Amino acid sequence: MFRVELVSDTSTATPGWSYAPTRGFDPTQAMAPTLGRKRGIRDAGKGGDISSRQANAIARHIAELDRENQRDVAIPAPVKQAREAGARGTRAKTTSNVRRILQSQKTFRNHLDDEEAAIASGSGGIGGMQGAGGASVVAQARNSIAAKGGKAAATLRRSATPASTAGAKRPAAAMADTTAGVSAPMQETADAEPDADDKPPRKPKLIKSQYDNDPLLRSYAPPVPPDRLMQRLLAEPPLSYSASRAKPPASGRPGRHFCCMCGYWGKIRCKSCHLRTCSLDCYKVHEDSSIGKELGLALSY
Amino acid sequence: MVAAKARAPPRTPATPIQPVETSRYLPDKTFVIDNGAYMIKAGYASHASASDESVSACSSIPNALVRTRDNKIVIGAQLATVNDWNEAMFRRPVEKGYVVNWEAEREIWDQSFFDGKVTARNRNHHIADPEDTTLVLTEAPNALPILQRHADEMVMEEWGFGGYARCLGPTLNAWNEIHSLFGDPLSNTSDASILPADCLLVVDSGYSHTTVTPVYKGQALQRGIRRLDLGGKHLTNYLKEIVSMRQYNMVDESYIMNEVKEAVCYVSNDFSGDLEQAWKSRRKRQSGPEEGIVLDYVLPDPNANKKGFIRPHDPLLHAKKKKGAVSGLSAEVLSEDVLVLGNERFTVPELLFTPGDIGMKSAGIPDMILQSLSVLPTGLHSAFLANVLVVGGNALIPGFMERLETELRQIASAECVVRVRRAKDPVHSTWLGGTRLAANREELSKVSITRQEYQEYGSGWAVRRFAGLV
Repeated sequence: MFRVELVSDTSTATPGWSYAPTRGFDPTQAMAPTLGRKRGIRDAGKGGDISSRQANAIARHIAELDRENQRDVAIPAPVKQAREAGARGTRAKTTSNVRRILQSQKTFRNHLDDEEAAIASGSGGIGGMQGAGGASVVAQARNSIAAKGGKAAATLRRSATPASTAGAKRPAAAMADTTAGVSAPMQETADAEPDADDKPPRKPKLIKSQYDNDPLLRSYAPPVPPDRLMQRLLAEPPLSYSASRAKPPASGRPGRHFCCMCGYWGKIRCKSCHLRTCSLDCYKVHEDSSIGKELGLALSY
Repeated sequence: MVAAKARAPPRTPATPIQPVETSRYLPDKTFVIDNGAYMIKAGYASHASASDESVSACSSIPNALVRTRDNKIVIGAQLATVNDWNEAMFRRPVEKGYVVNWEAEREIWDQSFFDGKVTARNRNHHIADPEDTTLVLTEAPNALPILQRHADEMVMEEWGFGGYARCLGPTLNAWNEIHSLFGDPLSNTSDASILPADCLLVVDSGYSHTTVTPVYKGQALQRGIRRLDLGGKHLTNYLKEIVSMRQYNMVDESYIMNEVKEAVCYVSNDFSGDLEQAWKSRRKRQSGPEEGIVLDYVLPDPNANKKGFIRPHDPLLHAKKKKGAVSGLSAEVLSEDVLVLGNERFTVPELLFTPGDIGMKSAGIPDMILQSLSVLPTGLHSAFLANVLVVGGNALIPGFMERLETELRQIASAECVVRVRRAKDPVHSTWLGGTRLAANREELSKVSITRQEYQEYGSGWAVRRFAGLV
């Protein structure tokens, strides 16, 4: 019986190196008993397999990559010469809005924080742009959509063919999982559509293949969504900045680690700073060099 | 804010009273600005049905203020005059893909579009009378409303354009002639006006970020827009960081490293295989230059007025240099600085496909496409997957398209056809789409506001108008 032991995450300056276990899919690890108390505390809140210190280091590294220059520099816009200022005279005078915008020293981060605070307080988004005016329009639109959806659903319930319509709407295609993403009211209105439009229910189109004789292997193309659904989708307001960010990948592939010196697979880990290296050659170079711990942590993951 | 409120009319006109169509005056001349973080693409839309030559009407202006090593500040188009890019510092008005600093952006716009007289050189991008010009301005998806408002106020109040349309950049691509790109039969509408493609999934991989936008009949399906916060800038910085750690300190050489990136980087279609190969060729000690993944990049030398260039890797160059003139190398070769690029060539663009390599908890581009589709009706999936268009500078990285198509094919449903195409000119594709939209006057006037309307209803109305809420 072999035993897998996790390398301690402590950052005390222990000399030497150790093989780094591949985390992620390792089933032996899933069965491992709960590790020490300290690790539990460090991992609290993150839920992942990395400590909060590592998470911070990664965040800092990504922020580094987002910079325009390595150092902070102030590059002032050159002062306009009088001649050009004179040329500007033909234009209308600078309005207060323009002056406010030009003098604003806010960064994107500031604006984003403002926006998120506004969303949290319920007045964010474009609707909140002009107070109740915009919001009421949106709310009104939402109500009317809801009302229509409800009505359509009611007719659906009364009509004789709900079961068949609903059945036709959910083909046995392999893409079934994706329907779950469409929100419930959307699905409802979609189902109600044929009745509301007084059209015959659309038949799913058979995708031609050599297996069509086998009822289990037949696959149908999902029907094209009706126009009204599309209009409604097009009329939706944009998502917020944070909501539109891509989510973590669905496939739980374990993370890859690279050698901090040469970029090859990182197979062993320095015990003092968690940087990975590929071989003892690279490890020795790493040991001799004095690379900052910050960068080391970020790259080790 | 107070001033804005005072300018805004009483609430009643803000509710949907459509202005009478006949009284609207939208200037005929249309100027299209695709305001990229790295490069502004700008020019007039020609009225003749757009063709390949219309790209020549487009000027690319670097969207940056630069301080060079000798402390000179250079703006926008003047950057072409800079020879010495060592330690050049950049200030960009666009942050994360959105114009944040209008003080800097105004300098660049003023200098590029408004200052001085019309000359032969700036004829293509000089706006003599904004009042008689309709501006089509692009923005990145999911912009903050406050930044959208700033843009509207600057355009309408600082420069006073006669007409104005703020569009989502990726959606404009749907106006391009994409049927031939995908090899579809041409619809027999040659005489009819230009119409957008029905279904198009636009992957826009630019300087600040990479977005996926499902475009349906020229309009974005907002719920499906997804963004990966990695773009060309991050790739350059990552390469810079790696090279600085392994070879020379290049942390202040953004411009040079960008050139290196453009010269050497490629997206690997066999990552672990390439990694092995690069590792092996580093270990080999053969004589003379060899073909392989490892390349030498000779850094530019501004004193000798020489540009940087690539050449096959010579493993013995270092040893030869140590020997000096005895080895028979010319003084020219001895004085040059060489970066050796092995696995850096493909591990850097790999970030776009596996952001997890730097620990980022985000999906790569192919996964992001499926995430975007997952919130759309299933009936549209096959249409979007069969029409994936890639635009933006990163599309030019060799191997990018193949990798995207392969990976998307693997994870997409087997019933769907997957077709991934690069726009003919991925950098100018959005701008070109804008000019084609402008050629369709009817559609353009639907998405535009006029100067009068802006003055009547104010900027809050304009933001909601462009969001399609009014």
